[in-house]
Amino acid sequence: MRLSCIHLPRRPSLGAPIARGARAAALLLMLASATSSLAAQHLLVPMDDAQKNHLKAYGLAFTALKLGNRVEWFLNFRGGSFLMSDDPATRRKAALDGISIETMDEATLIQVRRDIAANNMDAISLEKAPRIAIYAPAKSPPWDDAVTMALKYAGIEYTQIWDDEVLKSDLSKFDWIHLHHEDFTGQMNKLYLGFRDAPWFLEQRDRDMATAQRNGFASIPALKKTVAARLRDFVEKGGFLFAMCGATDTIELAMAAQGVDIAGPFSDGTPMDPDADAKLDWLHTFAFQSVHLEMSAGVNSMSDIDGHQVNVPARRAPLGQFTIFNFSAKFDPVASMLVQNHRNVIPDFYGVTTSFTRSTLKPGVTILATEDGAPWVKYLHGDYGKGSWTYLGGHDPEDPQHNIGALPTDLGLHPNSPGYRLILNNVLFPAAKKKPLKT
Amino acid sequence: MLRLVLAVAAAAMVVLPPGHACAQAQNANLNRALDLEQAGKWKEAIVAWRAVIASGEGAQGLLGLERVFGQLAQDDSVLPPLDSLLERKPEDRVLRGVQLRVLRSLGRDSLARAAFDEWVRLVPRDPSPFREFAGQLLNDGRTALADTILQQATLALGSTKALTIEVAQLRSALGLWNAAAVEWVKALRSESYLEQAAAYSLFPATGVHRDSVRAVLRDATQAGAKKVLGTLELQWGAARDGWRALSTLTVADSAYESWKDFAEDAEHQGAWLAARDALAAMIKERPNATLAVRAASAAMSGGEPASALDFLSVARRVLQPFQVRLQVLPIEVRALASLGRAAEAERLVRESSEFLDLSTRQSYSRQIAWGWIRAGAVDKARAALGDASSDDAEEVTAWIALYDGDFKKARVGLRRPQDATADVVTVISLLGRTSADSARGVGAAFLALARGDSAQAAARFERAADEISDAAPLLLAIAARVQTARRQDAAAITLWQRIVQRYAAAPEAAEADLEWGRSLRKRGDLAGATERFEHLILSYPQSALVPQARRELDAVRSGASAT
Repeated sequence: MRLSCIHLPRRPSLGAPIARGARAAALLLMLASATSSLAAQHLLVPMDDAQKNHLKAYGLAFTALKLGNRVEWFLNFRGGSFLMSDDPATRRKAALDGISIETMDEATLIQVRRDIAANNMDAISLEKAPRIAIYAPAKSPPWDDAVTMALKYAGIEYTQIWDDEVLKSDLSKFDWIHLHHEDFTGQMNKLYLGFRDAPWFLEQRDRDMATAQRNGFASIPALKKTVAARLRDFVEKGGFLFAMCGATDTIELAMAAQGVDIAGPFSDGTPMDPDADAKLDWLHTFAFQSVHLEMSAGVNSMSDIDGHQVNVPARRAPLGQFTIFNFSAKFDPVASMLVQNHRNVIPDFYGVTTSFTRSTLKPGVTILATEDGAPWVKYLHGDYGKGSWTYLGGHDPEDPQHNIGALPTDLGLHPNSPGYRLILNNVLFPAAKKKPLKT
Repeated sequence: MLRLVLAVAAAAMVVLPPGHACAQAQNANLNRALDLEQAGKWKEAIVAWRAVIASGEGAQGLLGLERVFGQLAQDDSVLPPLDSLLERKPEDRVLRGVQLRVLRSLGRDSLARAAFDEWVRLVPRDPSPFREFAGQLLNDGRTALADTILQQATLALGSTKALTIEVAQLRSALGLWNAAAVEWVKALRSESYLEQAAAYSLFPATGVHRDSVRAVLRDATQAGAKKVLGTLELQWGAARDGWRALSTLTVADSAYESWKDFAEDAEHQGAWLAARDALAAMIKERPNATLAVRAASAAMSGGEPASALDFLSVARRVLQPFQVRLQVLPIEVRALASLGRAAEAERLVRESSEFLDLSTRQSYSRQIAWGWIRAGAVDKARAALGDASSDDAEEVTAWIALYDGDFKKARVGLRRPQDATADVVTVISLLGRTSADSARGVGAAFLALARGDSAQAAARFERAADEISDAAPLLLAIAARVQTARRQDAAAITLWQRIVQRYAAAPEAAEADLEWGRSLRKRGDLAGATERFEHLILSYPQSALVPQARRELDAVRSGASAT
């Protein structure tokens, strides 16, 4: 099946003057042909190698949903393509953003639907633009958040929230909350060890301390644990949580340590509970269990969840590449949505938390991507209460070594980034009309 | 590579102390083994290298066997003789190094690790095992394991003082640039020959990490760190900053040699003004006419003819007249012509004219003609060209014709321009665009530009658009570019706007949209800028400028500030 690439139509020129009768007939003919043509036209946004800007394609789908248009996600069809109704606004945005689109008439669409029905593919109807919140401080720290960058680049709207909003406002107004680098154990990623005199570190510490006091908490760890518990409630009530980098394991630790002191003395003035490891309650966490805490305040690691331990030189594991699993689109549509991509193998990238050791995973957690032969996995998903969560290890898919103070990644240079696609799959996933999981 | 290794081995053999018969027999064995290896007679070479081992040169023989078995992909065959030798000399550094290398290349990591531990056990206070193993692991890119080994060295030796180079290499390999720079500074304190290694190791740092490396090297007191910084800045494309670092050195720091190397590298990279500065420092230290001529040439290439003349005056005082004619005069005439000081250039050429051949005189005449043009004296330029042959002077004649508004003659002379500079391309595109054979207004505009009167030039190009209607959008675009270069954004916007609105189908329309949008963005009119970029993308989807417009659009949306 070959579909031709389309370009913006030029305004038709009527040319030389036409006699009145002939002009009326011509107008009627044009109208009739335009009506039938419009009725038959769809736009396919291919997401395989024919796509020139994969990341902005997600923004196109989001905008179409926001305008109330119908969008279908063709799982496993040409890299996870989108089908949209053909309208001038969509065409205009595609042209402006350099997004490849293809026209598709009704007959071709029927054939595509047959192919989808006969193969490991499915058509998922996307219903509404998800309401997105990103948990991030008002003033940016000296590192970047891959999700914020991806959303900005793709042109997807979001609301920025921070501790006060999480504690006091109604989170149910959001479908999707993203967490990135935050340390929910309240130890500020143990950056105290190397950056305690850095102005940005002092500013963050003072800001978090002020927030804690404003909300009646004695310390930053106490504040962050409560924030973590609120976010768990959000998921339990039906929300979708996506976390990357250090937010993944620390929110789990914070949820498991509601009554236990797991923070080093530099963050709350008291030593860790020497029996903290044994006291952690893994019943009310999303993904992990039987985790062992890093008991030394001088070692920049939280626990044995992370397989790569990038900030502990003696333990640091080298980067490899991870493979995305292929799920049955008809039986596991949720997992399928989260792994739509035009590449199956993606180079790994470091983060405060890069990966998740298999031995700490709860049974029932869906592994979405893993490194062959390694004792860790990269990308996880699961349900909790009425909602669900997804964890992706690493900080920035296009900056494998991302260091503090490094310049932000220019996504204009990575419009086809398969790693960033994983993030954006998560953004659109909550827009899907829910289908029951058949397995 | 093999040849190099063999050459080194042979050289080592040559310096062996001559003496008794045993040494001679060893030399003969070694020679034979090397010859067989070089001839690719691997089986015979193996026998010969075994003989070298038997003659008492265990390390030499084993290195030979390692190379030959490596060629045959039979690395594990090195292990039996190696084990025998290690039984006799368990602490030998060469043998231990071969052992680690072979085991690693065979993928027997746990055995390599055990061999390393055994070596450390035998020589507990010696840094050699750590240095060797960490070095090998770094070469393999196995930075994490190398880090572990170096941490172990800290515990075993009390510090990594003896392993500073390895630690520095490790930090670089891990992308910990600040820490790497600190370690290299430490290493340079004791081992000044490591300057090149440090520069090579730190070169891959990017972005803000470079600033961090710069800060460390700048703050270091030793000369080696400044030299490394100078080299790095040059390689990073900031040659002037590199020179700033080196210029603080004194002669006691062997600065002269560093300046000399820097000047050569800068010349090689076309960083002319940095090269000029380095040469100037050398001249100040040790006055030298040849260096002065080089400095003048660098200054000319860097676009500073006045500075070139200063150096040439130094050279003139020292050199013999014939040397002045050969080395100084060509640059002097160019410099004076560039500055519009044609009369002085004419005088210098006249003074030497009896010693100049015809082609040299004609070449000078062309340059003097350019000098007169820059001074705004077209008639004198025409007169100066009287000495030049018509073929050689074709291009200059064409430019003079252009300034006269004679397009017909200009077209002929610019058929084969020597350099495709931006000016030449603009003129050729204009001459190809219009069917007019003459236009005095356009000529006057180009002449104003040549004289450096950009305000007058912009105004004349704009007026000329009414004179030549078939090239009007191009002339307006030239005027707008000149106004942009003059930072007269409002005037430029008016011109870009005129092109977009009146000449929407012209080739310049997409450029006009883009530049109009950029000017609006610079002024903070983001909505206006967005409209222009969108207009370009939607109206000229096939334009090569569309990707630039998309980048601009993204920048406006993300709130990035215009530069």
